[in-house]
Amino acid sequence: MKGAWSEEDRRHAAALAATYAAAAALALLAAALFILAFGGSIRVAFATVLQASLGTWGGFAQTLNKFCPLLLGSLAVAFGMRGGHFNIGVDGQIYAGAIGMAAVAFGLEGLNLPWPVFVPLGILGGVLAGAFWGLIPGVLRVRYRVSEIFVTVMLNFVALYLVDYLANGPWNDPLAGDAITVPIPKSAVLPQMLPKSGGHMGPLIALAAAAGIYFMMSRTIIGYEIRAVGDNPTAARFGGININRITLVIMPVCGALSGLAGAIEVSGFHQTLLLGLTGPTGAPNYGAMSILIAVIGRRHPLGVILAAAVFAILMVGSDSLQRSIGLPGSAVFVFQAIIVLTVLYVEARRQLST
Amino acid sequence: MSAAPPRVEMRGICKRFGEVVALDRVDLEAAKGEIHALLGENGAGKTTIMNILSGLYRSDAGEIRVDGRPAPIRSPKDAIGFRIGMVHQHVELIGNFTALENILLGHEGTGWVLRAESQRGAVEEVASRYGLSVPLNERVKALPVGIQQKIEILKALYRGADILILDEPTTMLTPQEVDALFATIRKIAEGGLTVIFITHKIKEVLANSDRITVFRGGCRVGTVRRPEASRELLVQMMVGEREFPAGAGRPGAVASSSAGPPALSVRDLSLRNADIHLLKDVSFDVPAGAIVGLAGVSGNGQRELAEAIAGLLPVQAGEVTIRGRSVEKLTVAARIALGLVLIPQNRIDEGILPSLSLAENFVLGLHPYIFKRSGFFEQGTAHEMARIAIRDYNVLTRNERVPSAHLSGGNIQKVIVARAMALFRAIGGGILIANNPTRGLDIMAAAFVHARFREVREGGGGVLLISEDLDELCSICDRILVIHSGEILGGFDGPDYDVYRIGELMAGVRRRQP
Amino acid sequence: MGFVFDISLLQLTMVMMAPLIIACLGEIIIERSGILNVGIEGIVTVGSVAGFLGTFMMGSPVLGCLTAMMAGGILSLLLAYFAISMRANQIVVGLGIFVLGLGLSPLSYRLAVGVVQSPPQIKTLSGVPVPLLGNIPYVGEVLFRQNILVYLTYFLVAAVAFFLFKTPLGLRLRSCGENPRAADSLGINVTAMRYGACVVGGFFLGLAGAYLPLLITGTFTDNLVNGRGWLALMLVIFGRWMPLWAFLGALLFAYVDAFQFKVSSLPQMAKAVPPQFLLMLPYVFAMLVLVKVASGAEAPRALTRPYDRESRE
Ligand SMILES: Nc1ncnc2c1ncn2[C@@H]1O[C@H](COP(=O)(O)OP(=O)(O)OP(=O)(O)O)[C@@H](O)[C@H]1O
Ligand SMILES: [Mg+2]
Repeated sequence: MKGAWSEEDRRHAAALAATYAAAAALALLAAALFILAFGGSIRVAFATVLQASLGTWGGFAQTLNKFCPLLLGSLAVAFGMRGGHFNIGVDGQIYAGAIGMAAVAFGLEGLNLPWPVFVPLGILGGVLAGAFWGLIPGVLRVRYRVSEIFVTVMLNFVALYLVDYLANGPWNDPLAGDAITVPIPKSAVLPQMLPKSGGHMGPLIALAAAAGIYFMMSRTIIGYEIRAVGDNPTAARFGGININRITLVIMPVCGALSGLAGAIEVSGFHQTLLLGLTGPTGAPNYGAMSILIAVIGRRHPLGVILAAAVFAILMVGSDSLQRSIGLPGSAVFVFQAIIVLTVLYVEARRQLST
Repeated sequence: MSAAPPRVEMRGICKRFGEVVALDRVDLEAAKGEIHALLGENGAGKTTIMNILSGLYRSDAGEIRVDGRPAPIRSPKDAIGFRIGMVHQHVELIGNFTALENILLGHEGTGWVLRAESQRGAVEEVASRYGLSVPLNERVKALPVGIQQKIEILKALYRGADILILDEPTTMLTPQEVDALFATIRKIAEGGLTVIFITHKIKEVLANSDRITVFRGGCRVGTVRRPEASRELLVQMMVGEREFPAGAGRPGAVASSSAGPPALSVRDLSLRNADIHLLKDVSFDVPAGAIVGLAGVSGNGQRELAEAIAGLLPVQAGEVTIRGRSVEKLTVAARIALGLVLIPQNRIDEGILPSLSLAENFVLGLHPYIFKRSGFFEQGTAHEMARIAIRDYNVLTRNERVPSAHLSGGNIQKVIVARAMALFRAIGGGILIANNPTRGLDIMAAAFVHARFREVREGGGGVLLISEDLDELCSICDRILVIHSGEILGGFDGPDYDVYRIGELMAGVRRRQP
Repeated sequence: MGFVFDISLLQLTMVMMAPLIIACLGEIIIERSGILNVGIEGIVTVGSVAGFLGTFMMGSPVLGCLTAMMAGGILSLLLAYFAISMRANQIVVGLGIFVLGLGLSPLSYRLAVGVVQSPPQIKTLSGVPVPLLGNIPYVGEVLFRQNILVYLTYFLVAAVAFFLFKTPLGLRLRSCGENPRAADSLGINVTAMRYGACVVGGFFLGLAGAYLPLLITGTFTDNLVNGRGWLALMLVIFGRWMPLWAFLGALLFAYVDAFQFKVSSLPQMAKAVPPQFLLMLPYVFAMLVLVKVASGAEAPRALTRPYDRESRE
């Protein structure tokens, strides 16, 4: 079944590679222009990016730590897109997941659970909270035909202020300052993968989730039905698939994936709940990045893993550029958008010519 | 040689859509004051040639002349400049605009401010000249189709069109409206305008035209003057010299296995959209072990009937029973489980998942059954089944992994038929509804599909075969029903069919004329 | 509860309303032509930074507004090219533009301003009471003791409504969004109309962005727009693609926004209700409204559908 690549496969792969090469070249060109505009040296800047993100253990750990929410968030978008649903609510779902994790961590603090029990429980709390946050737009779409785009966007802000409230109010740590809670109990902290450099286990969990989504999409009946609905809802309906049911599966799963990201951010990275965990009103804006990573990764888990890795490197690298030449982190958005538009352009060209 | 040049003249018009040759070196001419009918079966190219004349499509080759002078028409705007106006097959009005706004659009008069009211007089003047009174202030979507049609005509006339094209203007009209429409058309032609109208209906042609041009398969078969035309001649021209393959494939009488309930039974099924009857009290049975054909010109309710039975369209009234089980309340999936399989009419929009692989397309609908044992989506099984189907149905494709959108229309159709047959087998099927399953298939492939339908019949299943191709129906069906305007007008038992009589019913002629 | 009709609250409402409705007008123009622009949040963001920088560097709010309009027009043109000429999926392109806008704004701000101790400030526009009208008690005080940009907003609402429904060009524009084939067959250039709508709509989106620093904050921050673009996108549905209804909707949303702003500054309220719940209000409100409105609203029939003359349907 695997077999050798056919001529057509090879041509397809070559076209794909050429498309992405062109897109990357354009993005690099833009990057070079920005760097010059900010008075940096291109060579030094590119070296800095790589050095900062991959050149040291600490940097590498940072890159992995960013990779985790990027991958999970992008999966949450890509998964929805495969089924024809647009999830713009990754930020909100990350916050929901973070709240879920923190709630379990603070709520069960008194039980003195050992970490192998406590951490999974907390993460489960985050996943469920995220799933709930995703279920809302699903239900509204099925019941009232409200576009999930709007609802997910609005829920971002609701979740943001909810965290704002919790982190300033009931769970606030007066010693730490504004919008931050007391640390979660030690036994609720996700074990570290690179203890010296501060890399947590999250990326492994994220990769497992990607594998899970891949398996679900390609090997389960529901995954197949989701792809069918995303590709042509009318034909899917003619094939006996109930589209409302699919919506009610897709949206909570999207939420659960982002919720997992939020739980890991709290349990592994920040070890507290705080505002500024993610967007939509500030950096890091995982939600916006996830949308484009999903598009760049062609909505496929493997592509998303690659794209998320690249942008994790860029995020960490651009942080260092921000420190050295003042290039704002949001420059990464521009690279992303350039890549997306280039890819769209090449693909539309190909479509029009057939 | 002093005769005036024809009003419109088209020479050697060619048009292709991808691989489809829609028009092949077609000539056409129409005179001043003439009502010229274009007649032909579905897909003959009638709409295409008129779209070219009205500037919507560009021809690949050929020449257009108006009053003997070359008329390079490249856009609708050019056509309007040559005073050509077209009323399209599907009314092209803007539902949310008033009738007046629709008429004025693009021709609003001068100035920056829309003064619809000041143009009203001019519109009413044109309207009364041709007896086309319409409520100008109503929103178009609230108006009945008959009125919408008038608005379309008024739209063209208001722009000063003196070559008026009407593409199947009568399909959605009541008989009274049809009479009124032709009275209007006559009045327009008497005013010196040229009217070209497209239709399938021989009766209308004979009653209302001066000359008739018949199309078949993208070519012009010929043009006849009305006095020389007869129903027989026109049918002959439309369908050509066709012979039915005798022997093996001939249908027999219905296998009278009246032991069990019919495979499908429909009673008084009605479907309305606003005040249009899409289906009106449709009742019929498909006995087990029989192929029942549904003949009719497309757009007369066939699609709605199929979808209503399959549970894809909610119906207002009526009963549907599959093998004795009433199914009105059931979902699509539940009806499939009871033994119903549908081959949809529109293979691209309703049949395939364009970017999924051929194998994954092949199992759509089948998937709850073939993967039941493991509960997982087994790529191996899907690929294996698809490979067999590709071989059996001779699907032209590199392999079963290519996205189905890469296949040609005919090959897509083969996949859809193969899938339907596999599903039928998997559920121990009772009734197969096939909506134009052989459109676009070559003779061998069509014969192969027919053989599968006969297998269903032999196996005690029922087939409802919807087709616009009468020859196909005659060659395979045990019984033929004729649908027109959402009503079943009659039924015929095989194997020897009176093709002309069926053709008349398809054209809405209820009683044989002396 | 005299507070609910407090004059300063209602005055603030008018100020908050202005950027929302201007963005919404731009989106209405674009959507009426049949193009869906979900990049609106990004375009408004770029407009806000362009408006701020234009004003700051050239010292003139007028030039600031013009800069913002240019920026909005250009981004919108990019969307138009992909949506119209390339027939790409409008939602995907829109999301791309959204993120592009989010990225471009801080970038250009930092590029222009550099890293500074205290952020630069521009003067927010001060009120210019309209003679006579401004003296009408209550109503006049709310409506006509505002600054120029709010008056401009009143004018633009009326102008866009007039344009769409009372001019030949407006009729043609709407026909492209409803049934491009019908429009085309009457000689209307659908492509040109759609491009035009996108660019002009983009001017509005940019202008809406410029309103934020000029009217409300006087500074630029990365989260200045804070979802207002998305809210405007919803207002289009709420207003059923009609400027006047959208105006009412914008008033309602702005009132909720102003209300939470005022309430949270009242000391006795701050104790009773945490301010975050008040901040949530506009967004929760928007969702509730959408649930009520969405099923009845009828979008332009051809919205998101590229037009190709020779393809069927
Ligand atoms: N826009 C198009 N794109 C692709 N193929 C087309 C297009 N328009 C027509 N065709 C094809 O050209 C052929 C002629 O179609 P046309 O619409 O002219 O037929 P017609 O005689 O008007 O039939 P009907 O009676 O069904 O309206 C058909 O094979 C059709 O599939
Ligand atoms: Mg036709």
